[in-house]
Amino acid sequence: MRGLRALAVRFGSLFAKSRRERDLDAEIESHFSMHIEDNIRSGMTLQEARRAARLKFGGVEAMKEAYRDRRGIPFFETLAQDVQYALRALRRNPAFATVAIATLALGIGANTAIFTVVQAVLLRALPYPQPERLVEITETNPLKRWTHSICAPANYADWRHTNTVFSGMAAYVGLDDNRNSKFDLYLTAVDEPQRITGLGVTGNIFDVLGVPPLLGRTFAEEETYDGHNHVAVLTYGFWQSQFAGDPRVIGRTMTLNGRNFEVIGVMPRQFFFPNHEVQMYIPFGVKPDFFTRIRRPHMLRVIARLRPGISMDRAQGEMTAIAARLERDYPDTNTKMGVRLDNYHATLASESRPALLMLLAAVGLLLLIVCSNVANLQLGRATARERELGIRRSLGADRARIIRQLLTESAVLSLAGGVLGLALAIAARTALVRLAPSVLPGFAELRVDWWVILFNSGIALAAPLLFGIVPAVVASRPEVLRDRGESAPRGRGNLRDLLVTCEVALSVVLVVGAGLLVRSLILLESVDPGFRSDGALSFTVNFPYARYADDARAIRAIEEIESHLRALPGVRAVGAATTLPLRGFSWSTDATIEGRGGRDYERELRHDVATPGYFAAMQIPLVEGRTFNEFDTAKSPPVAIVNQTLARVYLRGNDALGKRLRYGKPTDTDPWVTVVGVVADSRQDGLDIPVQPEAWTPLRQQTNGGITFVVRSNNDPVMLIAAARREVHAVDRDLVPTNVKLLDDLVRQAAGDQLFRSTLLAAFAGIAMFLAALGVYGVLAYSVTQRTKEIGVRMALGARTPRIVGMVLGDGLRPVAAGILFGLVGAWLASGAIRSMLFGVGLADPATYVLTVIILGASAIGACAIPAVRAIRVDPAVSLREQ
Amino acid sequence: MDEKTDVWQGTLALMILTTLDAMGPLHGYGIARRIEQTSGDRLAVNYGTLYPALLKLEQEGYISAEWGVSENNRKARFYKLTRAGRKKMRREARQWEQATAILARFLAREEGA
Repeated sequence: MRGLRALAVRFGSLFAKSRRERDLDAEIESHFSMHIEDNIRSGMTLQEARRAARLKFGGVEAMKEAYRDRRGIPFFETLAQDVQYALRALRRNPAFATVAIATLALGIGANTAIFTVVQAVLLRALPYPQPERLVEITETNPLKRWTHSICAPANYADWRHTNTVFSGMAAYVGLDDNRNSKFDLYLTAVDEPQRITGLGVTGNIFDVLGVPPLLGRTFAEEETYDGHNHVAVLTYGFWQSQFAGDPRVIGRTMTLNGRNFEVIGVMPRQFFFPNHEVQMYIPFGVKPDFFTRIRRPHMLRVIARLRPGISMDRAQGEMTAIAARLERDYPDTNTKMGVRLDNYHATLASESRPALLMLLAAVGLLLLIVCSNVANLQLGRATARERELGIRRSLGADRARIIRQLLTESAVLSLAGGVLGLALAIAARTALVRLAPSVLPGFAELRVDWWVILFNSGIALAAPLLFGIVPAVVASRPEVLRDRGESAPRGRGNLRDLLVTCEVALSVVLVVGAGLLVRSLILLESVDPGFRSDGALSFTVNFPYARYADDARAIRAIEEIESHLRALPGVRAVGAATTLPLRGFSWSTDATIEGRGGRDYERELRHDVATPGYFAAMQIPLVEGRTFNEFDTAKSPPVAIVNQTLARVYLRGNDALGKRLRYGKPTDTDPWVTVVGVVADSRQDGLDIPVQPEAWTPLRQQTNGGITFVVRSNNDPVMLIAAARREVHAVDRDLVPTNVKLLDDLVRQAAGDQLFRSTLLAAFAGIAMFLAALGVYGVLAYSVTQRTKEIGVRMALGARTPRIVGMVLGDGLRPVAAGILFGLVGAWLASGAIRSMLFGVGLADPATYVLTVIILGASAIGACAIPAVRAIRVDPAVSLREQ
Repeated sequence: MDEKTDVWQGTLALMILTTLDAMGPLHGYGIARRIEQTSGDRLAVNYGTLYPALLKLEQEGYISAEWGVSENNRKARFYKLTRAGRKKMRREARQWEQATAILARFLAREEGA
C-alpha cells in the first residue's frame, strides 16, 4: 500500500520539476548554513567551518542525483529525455522526418482503413443477444441449380413445427436478391405522402432475434394472419424522424397503402434488422392456409435460433431429415429440395469476406514495405549520424542506452505516423462507402470504434520493432562508432540491398495481384449486357393491392403512365417490364415444353411481363419474329417472347417461332403459349453470371403488383427524373416512383465489387511501387556519394561515361532484379488466394506478369537515373582533392 | 576521536522516526545532529544519505514536511511524524527489540561456552 502511495507521489513529481528542484537547493542551502554556524560556534574560522561542513556532507551532486532518482521515476524521466532528444533530432532533419512519417502514415492509414471495413462487416457482433446462435435457412435444389434459395411458405411452416433443434424460427419478406430492401409502403393521410421502407414479418420475428422493444410491445403470433395484422413496430430512427421521438406514439394510427395500422411498439436505438434501410415492421397479413398450401413459389427468408447446446451439425442433420420427409410427401414441388443452414452473420458477410481478407493481406504487405523503407532511410541516416552517436558514446552512454535512444526515435516517428494514419482512415471512410456499396452489406456501418483505435495504435507501437531494431543495433555497433575510416562499412550496404530486394519482391506481389484484378475489371466492363445502357432511366412503380385489386385497372394505369412519359420532350422510347436485367430481382417458374413431357417441367424459366414498347426502349434486339403489340390482349391467344438462350436450350435452336410452352407442370391445365418472337440475350443477374432462359408475357395477358419503367431520351436522362415523378403523380396521386436508376448505373453497379477490389488493390500496389522506387533511389544515391572518390579515380584512369553509368546502374539494379525474381515466384504462389475474384484471366496471365516486370523495372531504372547522372558529373580533380 | 560506525542500512529510517517522536518537528540538519548526539557521537550520519531517506519516508506518508523558521531565524524545512509514522515507529521498534534480544541470547551463549 505504502509502495503504491509512494509511486503515485513519484509519478506526480514528474511534473513541476523546477519547483521541486528549487526546494531541494534551498534545503541543502539551509542545511549548510546551520552546519557552518554550528562549526563557527565551536570555534572554527569561516573557511574551516565551510570545509568541515562540505566534508561531512559528502558529494552534493551525487546526493542530488540520488535524491532525484528517489523523487521521480527514472524510467519515465529517461523516456521523457529520449523523446525530447528524438524530437530535436527529427526537427534537425525535417526531410527525413517528413518522408518517414508520411510513409508510415500511408502504411498505417491503409491498414486502419481496411480494418475499419473488416471490423464493420466481419467482426462487430450483430445487435442481438447471442448472435452466433442465429441461423439462416435456405433451400437447395440441384435440378434448379439452387444453392441457397429463399423458401416456400409451407416448407417453412413444416420445418418450424416439426424441428426440435431451434428455439424459434421466423420468416420475413422485403429484400431483393442482393439483400437490399424492396418493400415499399406508402404513408398517406399526412401532410406529405411518402414512401417508407418496410419489412413483412411473421409475428415471432422479434422473439427469434431476442430483442425486446424500447416502447410498447412487439407482435403476437396471431398477428401474422389476415384480420389481426394492422399493427406496426417502428425502428428508433423512423420514430425519431416521423414522430420526433414522442412516447405517445403507441396506439396512434398510420395510413399505409390505404389501410390503417396501429403503432404498437418502437425498437431500441441499436437495433436493426436485416439492414439499416428498414424503417417499419408489419406482419405478413396472410390467410392461415398460406403456410399449408404454398410450396411454390419460394418467397420467404427464414431465420432461426439454435437451442442452447445444439450444434450446427446436429441441426443440419435434423433439418435434412425433415426435408427428405417433405420430398416424399410432396414430390411435385419438393423433388431434390434440400435445406441449408448457415451462420446468420457469416451469410451476410459471405459475399465480401474474400475481398476483405485479400485487402487485409495486401495492406499487411504494404506495411512491410513501409517498414523496410523506413528501416532503409534510418540505415542511411545512421551514417550521417556516426559522429553524433560517437560523441554520445564517448560521453558515457552505453550501447543499450544508444539503442534505446534510437528506438525511441523510431517510436516517435511511428506514433506520429499512426495518428496521421488514423486521420487518413477517417477521411477515407466516405470514399470507401462510395466505392463499396456492394462490398459493404446493408448491415455494416463504417465506424471508428475503440477496436479500430486499438488496432491502429497496436500497429503504430509494433511497427518500430520491425523497422527500428535492426537500424538501431547496426548504428550503435561499437566498430561503427570507432571507425571514421574512409570507406563505409560494407555490411550495412548489403543490409540495405537486402531491404530493397524485399521491398521490390513485395511490390511485385501486389502489382501482379492488382494487374490480375484490373484486367478482370476491364474484361467484366467490356461484357455486353445485352441492352443499351446509356441515355436511359428506369424506375419502379408498385400498385397497392387495396386499390388495384382489379388487374384491368393496373394495366390501364401502366399504359397511361407510358403514354404520359412518351409525350415528354426528348423522349424516344418508353417501355415497362416486371424485371429489368441487372436489377437484382427475378421471378422464375416451372415450364413444360409442348411435345416433350417427362421431367422437362422442372426446368427453371425466368418469367416476366413486358409492354409492347419494352424491347425497343431497352434496345434489346429482336432476332426473329415480332415483339408484342396492342392486339395481344386477354382475349387474343396467349403469346410469348423468349430469349436466345431459351430458344437454344429448351427449343433446340432453330424454328423457335410457333413452338408452344406452358407455365407450370405437364398436368396443369393452363393454356399453351405460342412463341412469337426471339430477342437477344441480356444479362439478368450479373455481368459474370451466365444468361438464364427467359420468357415474357404481354402486359395485357397477365399483370403483377409492380412494374419497372424504362425511358430512353435524347437528352441526359437525369433531367427526366423530376418529370417522371410528376407524370406518375398525374396518373394517380398515391403512386410513387421508387428505385430510380440510370441504366448506366445498373451496369456500373454490376461491376461494383470488381471495381472496389481492383481500385483499392491498384492503389496499394501503386503506393508499394513508389516506396520501392524510393528505396532503390535512396540506397543508390547513398552508395554513389560514398564512392565519389572511387568514381573519380576510375574517371581519372580513363573510364568512360557509359562504363560509369553501367557500374552505378548495375549496383542499383542488382537487388531490384533479385526482388523481381523472388516477387514473381511469390506472386504466383499467392495468386491462388484471388482465384475466385478473377474474371476472364488465368492465374498465370502472361500479360500481367510481363507488364509487372516492365513497370517495376522501368520505375527502378527511373529511380537509378538521378544517382547515375550525379555519378557521371563527378569531377575527378575535385573528388580526389576532397579526400 | 573514537572509531565511528556508519549507520546501517535500514536502521536510519527508524532512527529518524524515533528522533522526530522525541523532539517534535525538526529540520534535516537537526535530525542528523540529534542522531549523532543520541549515539554518543559513536555514529556518523552521512548527511548526503539522510535527505533521500527523508524523501522516501515522506513519499510513504510516515512523515510530513513544511517550510518553517529555525531557532536561529533561518528558513528550514521541518519534518514531523504523522500518525502512520508513529505506528510504524512502534512496530519497527518492537521488531528491533525482539531481534536484538534474540541476538543477545546467541551472544550470551557464546560467551558462556
